[in-house]
Amino acid sequence: MSLPAANILTTASVAPAAELAGPAAGRRWVRNLEIAIPATVLVLLLFFCFIWPMVYPVPKPVGGSLTTVNLPLWSKGHIFGTDIVGNDVMSRILYGGRVSFEVAAGVQAIGLAVGGLIGLVAAYRGGWTDAVLMRILDIFIAFPSLVLVLAIADSLGPSETHVIWALSAFSIPAFARVARAAALQLRDRPFVVAARLSGTRAWRIMFQHLVPNMLPQLLTFSMLGASLTIILEGALDFLGYGIPQPTASWGNMIASGESFISVYPRYVVVPSIFLLGTAIALNMLGDGLRARWDVR
Amino acid sequence: MSSSSVTVQPAGRPGSAVAQRLAGLARSPSLRVIGRRLLSAIPVLWGVTLLSFLVMNALPGDAASAMLGINATPAELRAFSIQLHLNEPLWVRYGHWLGGVVTGNLGQSLASGHQSVASIIGQRLPVTLELVVYALVITLVVSIPLAVLCARWPRGIIDRLSMLFSMGSISIAPYVLALLLIIVFCVDSHVFPSIYSPTSTIVGNLRNYTLPSIILAVPLIGFYTRFLRADLLEQMQAEDYIVTARAKGVSEWRVLTRHALRNSFIGLLTVIGLNLATLIGVTVIIEQIFSLPGIGFELLNAISNRDVPVVEGIVLVFGIAVVLANLLTDLLYGVLDPRIRHVASRS
Repeated sequence: MSLPAANILTTASVAPAAELAGPAAGRRWVRNLEIAIPATVLVLLLFFCFIWPMVYPVPKPVGGSLTTVNLPLWSKGHIFGTDIVGNDVMSRILYGGRVSFEVAAGVQAIGLAVGGLIGLVAAYRGGWTDAVLMRILDIFIAFPSLVLVLAIADSLGPSETHVIWALSAFSIPAFARVARAAALQLRDRPFVVAARLSGTRAWRIMFQHLVPNMLPQLLTFSMLGASLTIILEGALDFLGYGIPQPTASWGNMIASGESFISVYPRYVVVPSIFLLGTAIALNMLGDGLRARWDVR
Repeated sequence: MSSSSVTVQPAGRPGSAVAQRLAGLARSPSLRVIGRRLLSAIPVLWGVTLLSFLVMNALPGDAASAMLGINATPAELRAFSIQLHLNEPLWVRYGHWLGGVVTGNLGQSLASGHQSVASIIGQRLPVTLELVVYALVITLVVSIPLAVLCARWPRGIIDRLSMLFSMGSISIAPYVLALLLIIVFCVDSHVFPSIYSPTSTIVGNLRNYTLPSIILAVPLIGFYTRFLRADLLEQMQAEDYIVTARAKGVSEWRVLTRHALRNSFIGLLTVIGLNLATLIGVTVIIEQIFSLPGIGFELLNAISNRDVPVVEGIVLVFGIAVVLANLLTDLLYGVLDPRIRHVASRS
C-alpha cells in the first residue's frame, strides 16, 4: 500500500489543465505570449542579478555608509533607497537575487539528477527495487519536510551550499515520484518494448529511450519546483536557518525589515515584490510549457 | 446491490442482532481496508521516527549543552548528560524510546522540567488543529463557489480574474503574505492582533486565529479553485451523464452544481488529502510569525533545545496525521462514489 505523494509539488503538476477548444490562431498567439512574457521577465532578472553588477558600478550590498542611512525610494544614486544601516537596497536586491537563483538552480539540478534517477530505476526495474525505493520515499513524504530542512540547515550551519543540500530533501522525493510516473507511462510503449526485444541494454533504454521522453514533464515540474524553492529559501532565511544575516538575500531583507514594518514598510515590500514576481514568472513559465508540451 | 457497509446491515431478529452485528463488522470490507492500511503505515511511521532520531543525533550539541548554555563547565555538562541518559549509545536511546512508544509512553521532555511529551502535545495540538480546520473551512467556502462560477462562464471575467488571483496566491510566500496582512490589518487598522494573546471568549479566539488561517488558506484557495474548475470543465465536456442530464432538460446551473460538482469532489478530496502534509509544514512558519502556541511552534523550540523526545513525539503526530488523512480520503471516496464502495465478499 503506498501512501499517495503528500507534496504540493507533486499535486500541482497533476492538476489537469483542461483547455477549451477556441479559435486556434488566437489560442496559439496567447499561448506564445504565456511563455514569452515570463521568460522575458526571468531573463531580465537573471541579467540584472548576474551580469549588470559586473558591467556597471553597483554599490556593495553590505558595508554601506552610515551617512546615507534610510534614504527613501527613488533617491539619487539609490533607486530603492538605502536600508537602516545605509546599504543600497537596489544592490542588495540584485545580489540577493543571485542567491535565490543559485539555490533554485542547485536544488532543482540535484532533485532532477538524484530523484529523477531513483524514479527512473524504480519504474523500469519494477518489483522489489520499486517497492523498496518507494517505501523509502514514503517515509520522506510522511516526514514533515520542513523539519528535515530545518534540522539539516541547523546541523550543517548557515551557508548557501548547506541551504541547497537541505532543500534538496524536498526536491529529491518529489522528482522521484514524477519521474517514476512518467517512466511507468513509457515503459510498455511499443518503442521501448521494441528496443528491449532487440537486445538493447537496460541503461541504454533508460537513458536514450526513456529520459528524452520524460524530460518535458521533468523540466515543467522543475519550473514549478524552482518557484517553491525560492519561497522556501526565503522561509529558511526568515526563520534564521538560511543564509547568515549580513549577506544579501531576499529572505534576509524581509526578515530584517520585519522589525521596522510599522515605520518603514518598504523594507519588506520591495524584496517581497521581487520574490513574488520571480515566483509568478516561474509558475507561469511552468504552466505555459506544460500547455505547450501537452504534459498532463 | 448487496449491503456493503456496516451501517446498512439489516436489523434481523432482536435476539441475535448483536451477534449478527459483530459478525457483519468482522466481515466488513471497509474495516479490512482500514486494518490493512493501518498495518502498512507502521513501517512508514517507524522509518519516520528513526529518520528524525538520526537527524536530531547528527545536530551539533545536545539537550544538556543547549540548556546549560555556554558557561557550563565540562563536569557540569557531563553530570547533566548522564542525568538525561545522553551518555548512552544512540541505539540504546532509540530502543528505549521505541519501547516506550509501543507501550503508549511517549517519554518526558528533557528541557521543560520533565513534563510528559504526551501532555505537551495534548496542550499544543488543539491550537494547530483549530488553525488547520479554520483554514480548510475558509478555503472550501471560497474556492468551491468560485470554481463553479468560473466553470459556468469559462474565459469570462470571473474566470480570468480568478486565474490571476490563483497565479498570485500560489506564488506568494506565506511569510510575505503574513507581513503584508500585518501591515494592513494590525499596523494601519487594529482589526486583528498581530501576536497571539490568550483569551477565553469565542470572538477573541476567532480574532486570534483569523489572520493565520487566512494566510494558510490563500495559496490553497488559488490551487483548489484552479483544480476544481479544470475538473468541472472536463466533466461538463466529456461525460455521458452530463449529456443525459442536459437532454432531460435539466438547467445548466443544476447540471453543474448537482451532477458535475458531486463527481468533481472526488478529485478535490484527493488533492486535499495529498496537501495535508504540506499544510502542516506551513503551520510551523505561521505559528512562528504569530507566536501561536501550536505544535509547530513547540517543534521549533524543541529542535533548538535538542529536546529529542518532544521532537520525536511531534514528528510521530505529523506522520500519523498524514497517514490518517490519506486513509480518510480513501474511505470518503466510498461515500461520494458508490462504485468505489468496497464490495462485500459474501461467498
